[in-house]
Amino acid sequence: MAEMALRNVCKQFDSAHYGVKNFNLDIHDKEFVIFVGPSGCGKSTTLRLIAGLEEITDGELWIDGKLCNYLEPRERDMSMVFQNYALYPNMTVYENIAYSLKIRKVPKKEIDKRVKEVAKILEIEPLLKRKPVALSGGQKQRVAIGAAIIRKPKAFLMDEPLSNLDAKLRAQMRVELKKIHNQLDTTIIYVTHDQTEAMTLGTKIVVMKDGEIQQVDTPQNIYSNPINKFVAGFVGSPSMNFIACDVEEEAGKVVLIFAINNAIKKIYPNNHDAQLIREKYMGKRVILGIRPEDVYEYEEAKKRKIDLNSVGIEEEIVTREMLGAEVMLYFEEQNRTHAVKLGPENKTRIGEKIQLFFDTDQIHIFDIETGRNILYRERN
Amino acid sequence: MKSGKKIEFAPYCYLVPSMLIFAVFLFYPFFKTIYLSLFMTNKMGQAKLFVGLQNYIDLLNSKSFQNSLKVTVVFVLIVVVGGMLLGLVAAVLCNKAFPGIRVFSTAYALPMAIASSSAAMIFQIMLHPTVGIVNKLLGLDINWLNDPRTALYCVAILTAWLNSGINFLYFSAGLGNIDETIYERASVDGASGVQQFFHLTLPGLSPIMFYTVVVNIIQAFQSFGQIKILTEGGPNESTNVIVYSIYRDAFFNYRFGSASAQSVILFIIIMLVTLVMFRMERKGVNY
Repeated sequence: MAEMALRNVCKQFDSAHYGVKNFNLDIHDKEFVIFVGPSGCGKSTTLRLIAGLEEITDGELWIDGKLCNYLEPRERDMSMVFQNYALYPNMTVYENIAYSLKIRKVPKKEIDKRVKEVAKILEIEPLLKRKPVALSGGQKQRVAIGAAIIRKPKAFLMDEPLSNLDAKLRAQMRVELKKIHNQLDTTIIYVTHDQTEAMTLGTKIVVMKDGEIQQVDTPQNIYSNPINKFVAGFVGSPSMNFIACDVEEEAGKVVLIFAINNAIKKIYPNNHDAQLIREKYMGKRVILGIRPEDVYEYEEAKKRKIDLNSVGIEEEIVTREMLGAEVMLYFEEQNRTHAVKLGPENKTRIGEKIQLFFDTDQIHIFDIETGRNILYRERN
Repeated sequence: MKSGKKIEFAPYCYLVPSMLIFAVFLFYPFFKTIYLSLFMTNKMGQAKLFVGLQNYIDLLNSKSFQNSLKVTVVFVLIVVVGGMLLGLVAAVLCNKAFPGIRVFSTAYALPMAIASSSAAMIFQIMLHPTVGIVNKLLGLDINWLNDPRTALYCVAILTAWLNSGINFLYFSAGLGNIDETIYERASVDGASGVQQFFHLTLPGLSPIMFYTVVVNIIQAFQSFGQIKILTEGGPNESTNVIVYSIYRDAFFNYRFGSASAQSVILFIIIMLVTLVMFRMERKGVNY
């Protein structure tokens, strides 16, 4: 129910230290926006700026065409779920959920009806008479969400609401949240450091680092078309493999060479990529990025007709993880461990060598200094 | 483990030192007071003539004692309510971090460190009818401490201020125990500052509130020094609280029997009030 726009929003803690810097973002109605990034990247601060719990030091926050920088939190019509749930300890679950309506002087009957509705959605009906002290983490979390969704605010703000739950409950609540978003049909802004939550819940992901936005895009695009090395490495698990390479020319073709020890290992990028690389990076060093699932064995590579693009990449396996549906193999290159995800039929054991083939349509090339993705595809 | 007798005996040995101290300084005077309250005494405070409950009957019929009771109730009410309000307001004001917070905190906690008699001396000067700053500032000409209409309030407010220091400390500790984020949630939920105070802060303070009320009541009943210095129970017995009346009966009039009886009555009052408070705690404290 809200169109939100943040324009050059800054949060400056002192003269040299920014919590959030030049934050520009448009949030449309009914979007599920995720702020994701490592701890201390400013994602929670941004959320608090939107809620009005922190003061914006520079820039503008527009909500539904209205400048909201100086509005008190209670005038912004948001509801928020906090990381530690922030339930009122002196009130029962029922009173906790009803509180925001009670202070708005909503008639008691109406409150009662809505509390029961919310309790039903979240399956907390038997808990309504309890005090927060007598609830488990998962129950508290449901109550906190219930207290937030009982109103129909302009937007829901959620600050790592699942971080205190165990893995199983978290997965379950993820599904619930997705359901709630569909049911309520409303804008949600959600902060997390967990990339699985970000990928599964969001319709739009905002990746942040050091107070600045790195990339804003759909989960799919963040994953397949990262704008820089940070985003590429942050999203995906195990994370993308990064290998430093030299760009050289070989019989008119661009080739990426990472020669370690005696073997020479080569990757031939596809024509489109080759052109982009040739323009500025011929003879220079770049970083090649490839995701574990884009590396294949010979048979599969041949099927995909990418077997000729990789030469001499024979690696010794240092760790092997059988995950049932797939096998993770790890090898060392340039003093870093790299991961490969292969089908479960692969029987390579630790210490054995395996010939690997990179899917050159899926590689990313990063500038070694700025970390920018040279192959980033601008879209409009 | 061999002999059961030793094991039964040993634990009581550890209690002996504290029981000795209690016996000398608490139990003996306590029972001696009850004993004395049943006698007429000589000037040395020795029991001479057994009169049974006559001391009590005389007291309850005496105008002076009835006045004492009334004065004490008013005094205690003002001191407890005033002292707790002052402490609470100061604690709430100092609960936010701002530059100079330490100076303010120290100032609000300071009454705790001032002896009641020295505070009384300062107030005596401040309330002086001709040179006192209170009259100067208010542009009034009131003889605060010698006017039966104002003397009790002056003494009570001074005592409230003296007690506010420790209350400030209790409430500050209580506020520190309230989770900061529930205020953030409340402000996003739409609660105003006043609503937050009544819905969150006061209930959050309820466990410490009980304790503070009990301590304050007992303390108020026992205030003495400032009354001794400022008004000596006067004018016209308007500040003659029970504790002062006891002192006067015992050490001016040498009527130890009557003074003891008053002590016993004071003890019973304080005990009843405390018991009632404990009863209320079970219902009133929120979590």
